[in-house]
This record gives sequence, C-alpha cells and structure tokens, in this order.
Amino acid sequence: MRSLGLCLWIVVPSLLATPVLAHTGGVSGGFVGGFAHPLFGPDHVLAMVAVGLWGAFLGAPGIFILPIVFPLVMAFGGVLGILNVPLLGTEAAIAISAVVLGLMVALAARLPIWMASVVVGAFAIFHGYAHGAELPAGADAVAYCVGFVIATGLLHLSGIALGLTVRWPVGNIGVRGAGAAITCAGIVFLWRLA
Amino acid sequence: MSQAALLVIGLFALLTMDAAIAHAPFEGVGSFYGGLLHPLFVPTHVLAVVGTGLLMGRQAPRWRWFPPASYVAGLAVGFAAMVSAYAPQSAGAVLLAAAAASGALVALARPLPEILGCALALTTGLALALDSPPGGISVREANVILIGTFCGATILLLGVVALTIMLCREWQRIGVRILGSWIAASAIMGLTLRLTR
Repeated sequence: MRSLGLCLWIVVPSLLATPVLAHTGGVSGGFVGGFAHPLFGPDHVLAMVAVGLWGAFLGAPGIFILPIVFPLVMAFGGVLGILNVPLLGTEAAIAISAVVLGLMVALAARLPIWMASVVVGAFAIFHGYAHGAELPAGADAVAYCVGFVIATGLLHLSGIALGLTVRWPVGNIGVRGAGAAITCAGIVFLWRLA
Repeated sequence: MSQAALLVIGLFALLTMDAAIAHAPFEGVGSFYGGLLHPLFVPTHVLAVVGTGLLMGRQAPRWRWFPPASYVAGLAVGFAAMVSAYAPQSAGAVLLAAAAASGALVALARPLPEILGCALALTTGLALALDSPPGGISVREANVILIGTFCGATILLLGVVALTIMLCREWQRIGVRILGSWIAASAIMGLTLRLTR
C-alpha cells in the first residue's frame, strides 16, 4: 500500500512535468522556464538553501514551518512584482538575505519560531518581488508559476536534507561552515551592487 | 522495489515527461479518453482539484461525504450549463482563486466547518466544468468529451482524497501542508498574471 501511495505521488506530479532540456534557447514560458528561473540566480539559490539549513537548527516544527511560510509570503511579493508596485532596494535586500540567513546558520541561532518566520517572511517578499517583476509576458502563467514555486520549494528541501546532518558532529561543523560560506557569498553580492 | 528506487524512477519520469498543454488535442485518443485525461493535463485544473482533494483528505473524518458530493454537483451543473452553450471567460480565474484558497487552508491545517468545504468544492466543480469547453466537431462528440471530463475530474478528486487520507504519519502530514503552500503560491501568482496580462 505504501508503494502504491508513493507511486501515486510520483504519477500525479509527473503529469504536470515538462521535459528538462539543456539549451532550450532561453528561459521563458511554461513549466521549464519557471522551474529554471530561480536556479539561475545564485543569490536566490543560496538564500533558499540557507532557509532549509537554518530550519535544521531550529528543530521541529521550525524545520517544516519555514518552507510553508516562505512560498506563501513569496507569492505576496510576487504579486507586488507583477503589479509593478515600487519596492526599493530589492536586489540589496536579496543579497542581505543571504548574509543574514547564512549568519543564522553559522551561529546556529535558535530564535523563537514566530521570529524566524518574520525574518524569513520579510526576505521572501523581496525574493518573490524580484521574480514576479521578471516574469516573461508571453509565459504560460500557471505552468510558469508552478515550476517557479516547485524549484524554490525543492531548494528549501535540499537545505533541509543537508541540514539533517547536524545530528553528527562533523555534519554540524559542515552545515555551520556552509552558513559562513553563504554569508561570505552574500557580502560579495552586496559588494558587487555597491 | 524500495521506496528510494521508486523515488528515483519518479524523479526521472518528472524530467522526461512531455509538456502538459492546456486543452491539448490529444491526437490519436478517442473523444471519451480525451475528455477523461483533460483535467490531468491543464495546470489550472490540476492545482484546483489537487488543492480541494488535499483539503478534503486532511479534514476527514470530520468532513463527511458532503464536500465531494458538492464537487460532483458543481461539475454536473457546470456541464449542464456548458451543454446550453454557456461558457464564461472568467471560469479559469475563479478556479485559480479556489485553488489558492484550498492550498492556503491545507497549509493552515486547522479544523474547518464542513459548509466551507462544500462551498469551495461546489465552486471548484462548477468552475472546472465551465473552463472545459469541448473541442468536438459534432454535438455527439462534444457530449462524449464532456462525459469523459466529468469522469476524469471526479476520479482525480476522489483519488487525491483517498491518497491524502492514507498519509497519516507526521512527516507525511507536513508534506501535505508544504504541498498546499506550493499550490496556494502558484495559484496566487498565476491568478495575478492572468488578471493583469
């Protein structure tokens, strides 16, 4: 029965999927375009992975609450971006998100879950805004958004998977080191913007 | 076969599946089967039905058979309207709004009144039917496509509900909530794009 359930979970999303093709001639339109879009922004990728890593230090329920909060708030930011509502300092805020979230991981910060949700949610608005503003006009709107959200969610889950290694001393050091590296990368992103 | 192997096969399938195109012609597929597969191949429909199904599954057994029955009733009324040549342009937007609401409620994971489920299910069924105009060249063929779509949409919902009810472990429940938040986020942005561009 468990295998049957897993098969169904696989078959249903498979019906939504489109081919993963290298050299598609540009990232625009449809599921593939939406899926690829977040993956081409290193600042976005690092911040999303950091969200998952941080969740590992927060423990349950934080490890799972953050990946639930982020997409919902990101969608709100995406709406602001699609509507072209002015939001200053978006790129800087995204770079700062990598710095701050990386620092939280490096310090193994254990904030209350509501405070962690506020921090992550605040940055999610800027990430969503940037992606919403860059959505191609000719895209298949829903398929694009589904791909975009799934890619972002999978980055969170990747971070969580890596973060689960904190139960071992070596893993703990490795994850905190990854957080420090993300912070450094964020500082580089900020420096490039200056 | 281990679950890990199944997962690998599934992820490979995700990377190799062909594009799911809204209202695809399904060349080589009969009218009934074209209609049957239709809800599975339109992203808006999948989002709405899966979102509604997850919500019903998560609220079971508090919610009984009224929400699924409302969904089927909505489908029936919508297809009856479709036969009467009524096909509003806004049905897709309503479907996305219903998907956003269902997904958000799944992510919220709170006990909800059954009447809310009935209203959401009725809206989803009605909007899905009105957003599925048949491409048949004859009245008979169009009716066969509509019957196929009715069956496909019903089977998809009941399948998702049954599957969700089976997911009892804590990590599975959390996975359902995460999936709900993904559905809500996709639907909210898709709805905004559809309304503004």
